Amino acid sequence: MSVLQELVAGLGIPNFKVLIPEIIILITALIVFTIELLTKARFLITVVTALGLFLASIPSLTIEQGDITFYGLYVVDSFSLTFKFFLILSTFFVVIVLRPYLESKKTYYGEYYYLILFALLGMMIMVSSSNLITFYIGLELASITIYILAGMFKKDYLSKEGAFKYLILGGTGTAIISYGIALIYGRTGSFDFATVADSIVQGSLDVGAVAGIVLLIIGLGLKASSVPFHFWTPDAYQGAPTPITAFMAVAAKVATFAVILRVMVEAFPFAYEIWNLGWALLAAASMIFGNFVALKQDNVKRMLAYSSIAHSGYILAALAAPTDVAFTALIFYSLVYIFMGLGGFIFLSALERQHGWSNHIDDFRGLAKRYPMLALFMLIFMFSMLGIPPTVGFFGKLGIFLALIGSDIWWLAVVLVVMSIVSAGYYLRVVIYMYMHEPVSSARFNLSLGEAFTLAFMASVILILGIYPTVFLDMSQLLGNFLIQGVGR
Amino acid sequence: MTVEFVNATFPIITISIVIPLIAAGLLFFLPERHAKPVSIITSIIVFIISTYMLFAYDYSTYKIQFYEKYTWIPYLGVSYEVGVDALSLTMVWLTALCFVAAFVWSTNIQKRIKEYFVSFLILEAACIGVFVSWDLVWFYIFWEAMLIPMFLIIGVWGYAERIYAATKFFIYTFFGSLFLLIGVIGMYIYQYMEKGILSTSYFDLLNLGLPFRLEVIFFLLLALGFAIKVPMWPFHTWLPAAHVQAPTAGSVILAAVLLKMGTYGFVRFSLPWFPEASKYFVPVMFALGVVAIIYTAMMALAQTHIKRLIAYSSVSHMGFVTIGTFALNMEGINGAIITMISHGFTSAALFLAAGYIYERVHSYEIKDLGGLARFMPVFATLFMISAMASAGLPGLSGFVGEFLSLVGTFKASILTAVLAGISLIVGAGYTLWLYHKAMFKEGELSSSKIERWEKLRDMNASEFLSFIPLVILMFVIGLYPAWWVRLLEKTSAAILSKFIGG
Repeated sequence: MSVLQELVAGLGIPNFKVLIPEIIILITALIVFTIELLTKARFLITVVTALGLFLASIPSLTIEQGDITFYGLYVVDSFSLTFKFFLILSTFFVVIVLRPYLESKKTYYGEYYYLILFALLGMMIMVSSSNLITFYIGLELASITIYILAGMFKKDYLSKEGAFKYLILGGTGTAIISYGIALIYGRTGSFDFATVADSIVQGSLDVGAVAGIVLLIIGLGLKASSVPFHFWTPDAYQGAPTPITAFMAVAAKVATFAVILRVMVEAFPFAYEIWNLGWALLAAASMIFGNFVALKQDNVKRMLAYSSIAHSGYILAALAAPTDVAFTALIFYSLVYIFMGLGGFIFLSALERQHGWSNHIDDFRGLAKRYPMLALFMLIFMFSMLGIPPTVGFFGKLGIFLALIGSDIWWLAVVLVVMSIVSAGYYLRVVIYMYMHEPVSSARFNLSLGEAFTLAFMASVILILGIYPTVFLDMSQLLGNFLIQGVGR
Repeated sequence: MTVEFVNATFPIITISIVIPLIAAGLLFFLPERHAKPVSIITSIIVFIISTYMLFAYDYSTYKIQFYEKYTWIPYLGVSYEVGVDALSLTMVWLTALCFVAAFVWSTNIQKRIKEYFVSFLILEAACIGVFVSWDLVWFYIFWEAMLIPMFLIIGVWGYAERIYAATKFFIYTFFGSLFLLIGVIGMYIYQYMEKGILSTSYFDLLNLGLPFRLEVIFFLLLALGFAIKVPMWPFHTWLPAAHVQAPTAGSVILAAVLLKMGTYGFVRFSLPWFPEASKYFVPVMFALGVVAIIYTAMMALAQTHIKRLIAYSSVSHMGFVTIGTFALNMEGINGAIITMISHGFTSAALFLAAGYIYERVHSYEIKDLGGLARFMPVFATLFMISAMASAGLPGLSGFVGEFLSLVGTFKASILTAVLAGISLIVGAGYTLWLYHKAMFKEGELSSSKIERWEKLRDMNASEFLSFIPLVILMFVIGLYPAWWVRLLEKTSAAILSKFIGG
């Protein structure tokens, strides 16, 4: 290690150790690429990918001393490390359920694995960025690979349509973001978050700065699928292979939330009035639109896509308040959303493998009678998304309420309440179909070990955190406090 | 007001919450045939524990007893804090008793047995939790967690319109609870801003000294949550639907335990936390209470479905609890609490009776019945006692509570008391009418009915066992109310300390 370290240090990269997770992911991606090229050994590819993710997760936990590296372009601190760990974790679960799903759909391609790893790398760069350029590169690496992943059902029209929409709208988002970055650069003369923050101080908000911030908010809002920039979401989510949907709806989104928080707080700590208002409006629109449209969906996968838009609304609502409580709430909710979101989508991916399963709500009829355990898992996911204790979704919403009411933003709190009630309509519907209708088909389900483990893991984490969220809350609070130091310096 | 605590030497309350949960977890993995014995034994153990607490409780002073407190989420100032005073204790005891009755009755259940008992066990834990929690986050967790099993119970084991009823129940209650949550969060934040204390403990929020304007806002937010649960007119429309569609044991728990949570909330939270706002809203609450009593009693008169009739009568009885509570004097509060207990027994018994009738006759329609008394004498006797207790016959439990409530109300507002008193007659009317139509009227019976009735069997052992404790307790309270009044005295005084300076 030391030789390597010296070598890298000789190239001018100090503190190379903090980059180990990224390096492992990159190397794994290349190895997987090679294996795929040479052998087509499917099992081997899965194992290598999972192993690489596992190896990368260890240093993300053990790195103690964070630092800025790459000449200030890249920051490794507790915030980014926490998010990296959870991103790796969620990718791990997607990877272990991916193969059975693809084989049942007869669309196995080895490309999935290294594309996922590259997307993960992009997200890790995103959450570690301390510079608008690094952030942009990470975002693009993640986005472009996900455009490809979304369209991987090459023979399926819906998948292609979704991917194409995502590509066009995502590209627009990228363009808007780069324009915003350009404006901010023009205004401040720097890409560095800290320098930008120093230049845009209170009372010096001019057209350039405001326009730049607003464009960034729009672009990031598009990536986080907040209304009114959500049009790609339902189609892309519905068309993509379901484990990939899980990856998009959970990992990519959580990374986006993290980077939104980071950019807003670190680059524009004094312009918080603008982004508070901007995110509050986007959040309210997402909650209202996402929930009402989800009510109308008969396809559960599409319903979950709209519910994910609504969840973007809940999470982004925390950005309406520039306080540590709000940041804590945002971090906590995004982290626990991983478990609910993965649970919901991987449940669908596991069932979709069975013949005749179309994700239509009618397919859920009487599931509880034939598969009580499976139905129980879905019940837990649904009630957690609805925010009923003793599931962790309750604490997520509680945090947002605390943040909003603590900052006297009653109107958004009321929107959140009313929309939570609306959301009961469609989450309960799934439970009703599973528990209160008679089964119609007698199709048998065989869960793979990975799927069974993933579902059980997600459900138990949701319940355990629902009873004892202390550790997660403390962790989120630590990160929230760390961020708040920047605001209003 | 400072409150004293007696720490539990042994975490007896926690145990009575955890036992049903453990049993539920076990049942999920045990074979189906164990479901009934395990749940009955569990509920009996919980009942024994709560009975022990009832007698071990020292009612000579107001102290929170069997008190446990552990830090839980330091970041939010949340602790796990449980304990009982006389009000909580009687509610816990009522809950435990009604669950024993419900489980014993449920031995007749045939459909998806395992899930049924698992749901009920989780429900039991949540119900007990609501009454013993002194930490608002835990209170809310139990309050909401209860929705999941109840939703399933109504929706899976109910009758034809069960899904509509279950959804309506869920959405109504969820709606109210979210406003309750916002109210509590508002108080919590006010406390932090004003006093710098981060705590969700009941006792910290008790001494907040809110300005009047905020008191009114928070009172309304909390009252919305409680009023839907009670349910008070005009939020009661979910109740008849839920009762009619729920399976018998579900109706029993719904009427005997779940409705008490709303009135418990008023007595426990609204009065001590918002004394000024409570005084301010007395006329409103009286009006709503009287409307509930009279209007729903009239509605009950017009019903042809046994369970719907009992459901409306429940709303009417809850009206007495409301006016008793907001009379804001000792008699009123004592009356309200005793009505809560008594209504627990009588409504549980009446719903059980409705369940027995349905099992035999396969109809809840009153016109399909008639003349049953001669063919089922034991049942007829017990049903008669329950109906009389519900109608408020002296010597039985219903009378004590309603009488005390009325005395309390009379002191506060004569008009309210008179109106509520008049409606007692209506109450007696629909109960007697129901009993008369269902059990007597033999002369009008067709011969085919008599033929069918002759094959009816009287109560079997499990039915008798689930019914008889309730009936005995109606007599116990009715003939010797002094013990209960003494038990509740200090607690009522503590609840009212901000009104009458006790």
